[in-house]
Amino acid sequence: MTTSEAPAKPKLTIDGQAVEFQPGDTIMKAAERARMDGTIPRFCYHPGLPVAGTCRMCTVEVEKAPKLMTACSTPAADGMVVLTQSDRVRKSRSGVMEFLLANHPLDCPVCDQAGECSLQDYNYEYGPSKSHFVEDKRVWKEATTKRLSDKLTLNMNRCIHCERCVRFTEDVTKTHELLMDNRAWRKELTTALDEGLFNDYQGNVADICPVGAITFNDFRFHKRVWFLKEKTGICDGCAKGCSIYADEEKDTVYRYRARFNKDVNDHWICDEGRVSFHTYQQADRIVQPLLTAGSTLNATSWETLVPWFTNELKKARRVLILIGTDASSEEAATIAQVLPSFSSADFVVRSWNGTGDGVRTSADDAPLDHLLRRRDQTSNTRGIEGLGIKPWNEAQDQNFDLAIYFRSGRATLPPSMAAKEIAWGVFSLAEAQRFAAVLPGLSTLEKFGTYTNCDQITQSFETVVKGLGGSASVRKILDGMKLKSNTPVREVAGDTI
Amino acid sequence: MTKIVTHKEGALDKYYIPALIVGLKVTLKQFYKTLFLGQSTTINYPEERREYSQRFRGEHFISVDPQKTENCTACYLCQTVCPADCITIVAGERPEDANPYGVKKEKRPVSFDIDALRCCFCGFCEEACPKDAIKLSRNYELATLNRETAVYDLDHLKREVKGRG
Amino acid sequence: MTLFDWSALALKILFVLGISFGMVPQLVWFERRGAAWMQARVGPNRVGIFGLMQPLADVIKLLSKESFIPAAASRFYYQLAPAISAIAPVAAMAAIPFGSFLIIGEHKVPLQIAQLDMGILAVLAFAGLEVYPIMLAGWASNNKYSMLGALRGSSQMVSYEIALGLALVSMLLIYGTLDLNTMVSYQDQSLLGFLPRWGVFLNPLACLIFLIAIFAETNRLPFDLPEGESELVAGYHLEYGAGKFALFFFAEYVAMMMASALYITIFFGGYALIPGTGWILNLFSTMLSPDMFQNLLALAQVASFIFKVGCMMFFFVWVRWTLPRFRYDQLMHLGWKLLFPIALVNLMAVALIIAWIGV
Repeated sequence: MTTSEAPAKPKLTIDGQAVEFQPGDTIMKAAERARMDGTIPRFCYHPGLPVAGTCRMCTVEVEKAPKLMTACSTPAADGMVVLTQSDRVRKSRSGVMEFLLANHPLDCPVCDQAGECSLQDYNYEYGPSKSHFVEDKRVWKEATTKRLSDKLTLNMNRCIHCERCVRFTEDVTKTHELLMDNRAWRKELTTALDEGLFNDYQGNVADICPVGAITFNDFRFHKRVWFLKEKTGICDGCAKGCSIYADEEKDTVYRYRARFNKDVNDHWICDEGRVSFHTYQQADRIVQPLLTAGSTLNATSWETLVPWFTNELKKARRVLILIGTDASSEEAATIAQVLPSFSSADFVVRSWNGTGDGVRTSADDAPLDHLLRRRDQTSNTRGIEGLGIKPWNEAQDQNFDLAIYFRSGRATLPPSMAAKEIAWGVFSLAEAQRFAAVLPGLSTLEKFGTYTNCDQITQSFETVVKGLGGSASVRKILDGMKLKSNTPVREVAGDTI
Repeated sequence: MTKIVTHKEGALDKYYIPALIVGLKVTLKQFYKTLFLGQSTTINYPEERREYSQRFRGEHFISVDPQKTENCTACYLCQTVCPADCITIVAGERPEDANPYGVKKEKRPVSFDIDALRCCFCGFCEEACPKDAIKLSRNYELATLNRETAVYDLDHLKREVKGRG
Repeated sequence: MTLFDWSALALKILFVLGISFGMVPQLVWFERRGAAWMQARVGPNRVGIFGLMQPLADVIKLLSKESFIPAAASRFYYQLAPAISAIAPVAAMAAIPFGSFLIIGEHKVPLQIAQLDMGILAVLAFAGLEVYPIMLAGWASNNKYSMLGALRGSSQMVSYEIALGLALVSMLLIYGTLDLNTMVSYQDQSLLGFLPRWGVFLNPLACLIFLIAIFAETNRLPFDLPEGESELVAGYHLEYGAGKFALFFFAEYVAMMMASALYITIFFGGYALIPGTGWILNLFSTMLSPDMFQNLLALAQVASFIFKVGCMMFFFVWVRWTLPRFRYDQLMHLGWKLLFPIALVNLMAVALIIAWIGV
């Protein structure tokens, strides 16, 4: 079929603008495709969840239809004329808002959602300026601060019964932990089991909650959202490489949120990845150059460490460069190509993973559940393999007098590889004890580069925060080595690795 | 409309003497008034104190309820509005037993520091506070012997202040 | 000279030094409290009764501070300047009589340290020395502010010395003498029957010119441009602290006293009794022997001299807190274009009148 013979796509008119849609779309979906959904407020509707049509906030006026229709559940039809901002619609939304606020505590100053709360936003836009309700508000004595699990806290007073959370556990994780008890104004969110939620994607429940009813304990009360700057990034917690927002203030990351990426993670990220940024902000992360002095590691400066490192390379005869599969492709390629040029020694470049009970290559990787989590806990196994770097084989790769281990904080510590070992990258003080020196490097949050995920999708990521302390990028360290070394750098062909 | 007033210098002005005598008369009159009639504007500070307006903005305090629990819910509005960036709050969960009103105060300030050296006493924090927790008292004697004590912590802010102090 | 003469001289020196040194703290106190009173304030009232111990506390503070010399300063001249500044006015005081004479036994003790026939010239010579400490201090401090202050100070003093000298010459023509004692006895008469024959009544214009000139000579407001705070920080004594600054400070007040003493000696009868007080003394004339009466009279003269100087000092303070500082060009304009010609005309007129009526 050629394009000229293709039947004209069906069209509907939203607020006077003709919009094409695909058969089967709802009005909301069609508006989303045309990026015109900003004028349709919603509480229960979420693009990643099945349609419920319970909140009545997304009602729109459809010509020739006697009543207002919910945009989220009304199928779009060819020639339909939709008004999203007519007086009838706005009046209806105002009424919905008034009912929602009848029992909402309006404790915005205490509530963590304030600043990114749908209820706040829509109330400013559609809500009545005052309420007809004079009765006392409904108060849930027990459920004011109720732990749904060790990750989630529920404040039932703020709940507006959109049931996004219930549908999430039913349709996304398929664990069915949450349900609504009772009906009408006594309708209460409870857990099916006493132990509460147990799935590995609970953080998403807090994300999709349009109000501050469900909050994620790791972020709860830590920061008001209006201080945070939303930056895009990639989670480096596993081989999946989910797209995230990393919210930071003054170079400290406070939380990850899922960023919609149809090809990788849809709307969700797992809890482990959601809190993985803490690894890079721990107090015992090494952020200053360390050099061995006798049996202990002492803080030193780059001015001392870089000549020492260059000198060690020159002295060595057989050098192992072990690159963790959490390094970005650019870092791995740069190290593998440039480092051998500083010395006439024999260089062997190998990769190391070690996560998930001994993953070595992407062949060992497997999904842990039907959603996102992977066995391989490093972010770039495929990418390192794509560079042609083979995994380290303990039996074959032996007899080195110097080993350099580069990693970005996720790959495990390999067994002892040589008499003298140098750590490069993100290490904690406890991990670094056996190394002769530590060159502090940048974590995923602090650098830019490329990861290739388990599905061969290559994604680049940008710097979110500044490198901590004296940590430096690979490029900067190698540049420094070139400046310091007196001998001309030996040219190395790219294909020798 | 601006009115331009010009003063023409006469011969007397030019030779200073008459103006000089007028000036000497003024100071002598004041000399007499202060010395013999006691009409001085000085307040002998530690013994006498100036009575400031009820609206005077002095040292900060945080109001407390009868159980000595601070009214502050660590909403960060004062920190957000502060033009001098002198308020630093760390929020946290209030322990169940220290929660007299149950639902009312689940969030509390774990620490609440005001750097009085940065503060410009604009009173925006007081205005922003939804709980009437942070207030500015009328105490204006804020001198301290070192910089550390100029940073008011929560214990200091929760001190008892009657009325506006 | 006999032992009596020596001891009398030593006592007189002690008296003059004691008065001038002892008066300075009181003057400073009065300057500060007087300023406060004129400005509806209270002033220093904490240390001692009425705050009278405040200057003492200041002196202790100044003397116990670290006395330093700037690294780039010229050490010798830097230290010489405050010494000269304190010595010059005190030395000038030596020639000013503060009473007629005492009779002790058969000795006649004049109340004047140095009986000089040309006393007025000695006073002027020493007063003229006062320009040196300013120049030395300004130059030796190696500081731009000090240097500018010194330049202003020296040119100002030189300029006003002309008007001062001309006004003085007109008075010398009237008195016909350089001896200060003779001037005082000339003034201790009555004029037209109801006025004392003081210089101020004989030649009020010269009196005014002389008054303005001594304000400039002592660097007092409104002519304190050498230390104009707003543009020169502290002027020539900017780099001085502790005891050396105290000397400058002290010298300023001693210079004021010396200038006042000279001024009243020439224009206000010197140690001559204040008009209207003679009859009180006359009550005792019958009770006492002539010698003792003379001693009483001398003491009364010393008292009235000190009283007159005190009034003059009050005037200094009064003017200081009334008038703002002149601009430098105004200062020079006043000195050269007003005072100098007026003083010249005045001198001519006095000379002509004296030649005509022949005093």
